[in-house]
Amino acid sequence: MSISLALFSPPTQPLPLFSSSPSKPHLTVKPHLSLRPSKFLTTTKASAENGAGTSPSAATALEIQPDQKVAETPRQVVQKGESSVGANGSAGAVEIEEDNVLSQFMDPKWVGGTWDLSQFQKDGKTDWDAVIDAEARRRKWLEGNPETSSNDAPIVFDTSIIPWWAWIKRFHLPEAELLNGRAAMIGFFMAYLVDSLTGVGLVDQMGNFFCKTLLFIAVVGVLLIRKNEDLENLKKLLDETTFYDKQWQATWQDEKPGSSKN
Amino acid sequence: MASVALKSFVGLRQQASTEKPHYFFTSQSQTKPPRKLKFQVLASKSSPRLTNRNLRVAVIGGGPAGGAAAETLAKGGIETYLIERKMDNCKPCGGAIPLCMVGEFDLPLDIIDRRVTKMKMISPSNVAVDIGQTLKPHEYIGMVRREVLDAYLRERAKTNGAEVINGLFLKMDVPKDGVSPYVLHYNGFDGKVGGVGEKRTLEVDAVIGADGANSRVAKAIDAGDYDYAIAFQERIKIPDDKMAYYEDLAEMYVGDDVSPDFYGWVFPKCDHVAVGTGTVTHKGDIKKFQLATRKRAKDKILGGKIIRVEAHPIPEHPRPRRLLGRVALVGDAAGYVTKCSGEGIYFAAKSGRMCAEAIIEGSENGKRMVDERDLRKYLEKWDKTYWPTYKVLDVLQKVFYRSNPAREAFVEMCADEYVQKMTFDSYLYKTVAPGNPLQDLKLAVNTIGSLVRANALKKEMDKLSV
Ligand SMILES: Cc1cc2nc3c(=O)[nH]c(=O)nc-3n(C[C@H](O)[C@H](O)[C@H](O)COP(=O)(O)OP(=O)(O)OC[C@H]3O[C@@H](n4cnc5c(N)ncnc54)[C@H](O)[C@@H]3O)c2cc1C
Repeated sequence: MSISLALFSPPTQPLPLFSSSPSKPHLTVKPHLSLRPSKFLTTTKASAENGAGTSPSAATALEIQPDQKVAETPRQVVQKGESSVGANGSAGAVEIEEDNVLSQFMDPKWVGGTWDLSQFQKDGKTDWDAVIDAEARRRKWLEGNPETSSNDAPIVFDTSIIPWWAWIKRFHLPEAELLNGRAAMIGFFMAYLVDSLTGVGLVDQMGNFFCKTLLFIAVVGVLLIRKNEDLENLKKLLDETTFYDKQWQATWQDEKPGSSKN
Repeated sequence: MASVALKSFVGLRQQASTEKPHYFFTSQSQTKPPRKLKFQVLASKSSPRLTNRNLRVAVIGGGPAGGAAAETLAKGGIETYLIERKMDNCKPCGGAIPLCMVGEFDLPLDIIDRRVTKMKMISPSNVAVDIGQTLKPHEYIGMVRREVLDAYLRERAKTNGAEVINGLFLKMDVPKDGVSPYVLHYNGFDGKVGGVGEKRTLEVDAVIGADGANSRVAKAIDAGDYDYAIAFQERIKIPDDKMAYYEDLAEMYVGDDVSPDFYGWVFPKCDHVAVGTGTVTHKGDIKKFQLATRKRAKDKILGGKIIRVEAHPIPEHPRPRRLLGRVALVGDAAGYVTKCSGEGIYFAAKSGRMCAEAIIEGSENGKRMVDERDLRKYLEKWDKTYWPTYKVLDVLQKVFYRSNPAREAFVEMCADEYVQKMTFDSYLYKTVAPGNPLQDLKLAVNTIGSLVRANALKKEMDKLSV
């Protein structure tokens, strides 16, 4: 199924990988899993080793000031140990207050939670290209300035109001051209292959609607793979997916004849 | 032995979809005090009969897993001990339970603080969809306080004959042969708060480790590690007028700001809300994510007071070893939390019960000694029943929680009534309803449409930054 993920992974954005630890004795460790280790600030493991078994709820006392800054240096917040038996949480009465800086996306064409299409008219027709541009700009802005969600001013803009041909024209999306029988067959075959590799039995589970959906996404995912980079990503993802299966199956590999009596 | 077990695991693939997660219990019948359970006798004919006493089993940890295990054991004629270090333990937890848990575990309605019927899913660009529209009048997600639920389950185990011990389990001596007892070492508190307690030992024939993510039982059997997510939660008391909004509503926020690989939540509790988030990949940034979650919900929690801050690990997958000799792990100790939804209460209680059932069956209601083969039955059944659920949620998380475009598409998808119905059915009842092929097809097309659009926009956004 992992094929599908190629869809969400533009080559410019390397995929975040599992922060898996190569420390497990029973698992095969793939080298790529430790790629870019600096990205992961994982320092503690929920291990039987250092957990010392107790940390009642690993409750952590955080000092939260009303005007706490986000920029604070990240710290590991979970402490394990036996120190906190009896203290399940820390009570600090802190008020949630209004910021002085109210960041809100503003644009004269953004009216009532949607793009005012009447302002996007060109030659008597809606200029969808401009709408796409505007929405891309809005989302970009929001990534830098996440906004408070509000019930009084809901977002009603829905990308599906932009007709499909506007997308195709704009992005030369190849799906339409590529969606032919042969490609679909390859996709399906790949999905089956992944399925049998992982042993999940997703195909057996055809009654499950999620699986069917995912199978579909997988097919399209395959159609979208055009570059070598994509294939690299795909390989990583495949390993990653099977990694989860291995984690589950570890219990069964562990079994050796004679281990039943202890 | 090895081949037998492996075969049955592979056998998963053929049977998984037809299996129902009910085995010995017909959960629908919510009537009457404990019925005597009848078990088929299949295994361990070889294991010795016990004379003058019944099988003794210790359950370590009194969370949902331990409580459910101890109750089942006691009902099944086992001499049961439940060791919990803190009787009023308030495990950091969102406290959301599926409807089927109420029925299957006969929970009284008064321990459910709130019945959530509206679930708001909020995308990175703040598109909000209510995914509870298809719920029938009697359907809801229960919100419980863990101190209440856990105490109730322990109490019920006690009523059924389990001995509940207030003590901190330290370690155990593992016997060399198949009949000698395990010797458990613990500090007994006798209900006294504070102090280190009194060193005591307890001899038992089998042990169920239900002591959560930092399990000492797991350590004792060298069960290995699992990856874990760190979840952070603040309990916030908000003004009454704000609370009215959360009366029967919970919120889930998704976005890179809130968590790179999970979701942020606002769950209603008895008289306050729990605001939290979690992550596996960027644990060091958890406070930043928490601030972002609070910020996204700010309008609705303005003026609130933080009354408690808590954090706890959530396992990502089972430990490499879940069983050794006559010791088995259940619940968080084993690593049974689903991806995507982060759900673990129901699975903890279910695994506790399933493990107990395997012990009862293997020991013929406490009359015989058990061995590893008997306990393995629990693992086999567990993996067979729930592995597909875990897998599907793992894939879903990988697909939809990874990037903002995927999240936007996910939220768009959730606006679809058909999706809502399927999602809720599978969450509330833990069964997979057969889909309607035409609807499935429509859904697939729509999902792909959403994904393609969101990714196209993302490409455009990337261009903007250059
Ligand atoms: C912030 C957060 C939110 C969550 N939200 C949800 C949610 O909304 N819905 C959901 O279904 N799941 C949720 N989960 C997951 C859920 O909390 C766990 O999966 C569940 O509690 C597992 O139950 P358990 O019985 O296995 O372990 P626990 O609940 O951890 O219980 C372990 C028990 O063992 C005791 N113990 C531990 N060590 C010892 C010892 N040495 N001696 C004696 N006693 C010991 C502890 O005191 C504790 O009572 C959440 C988790 C977190 C961290």
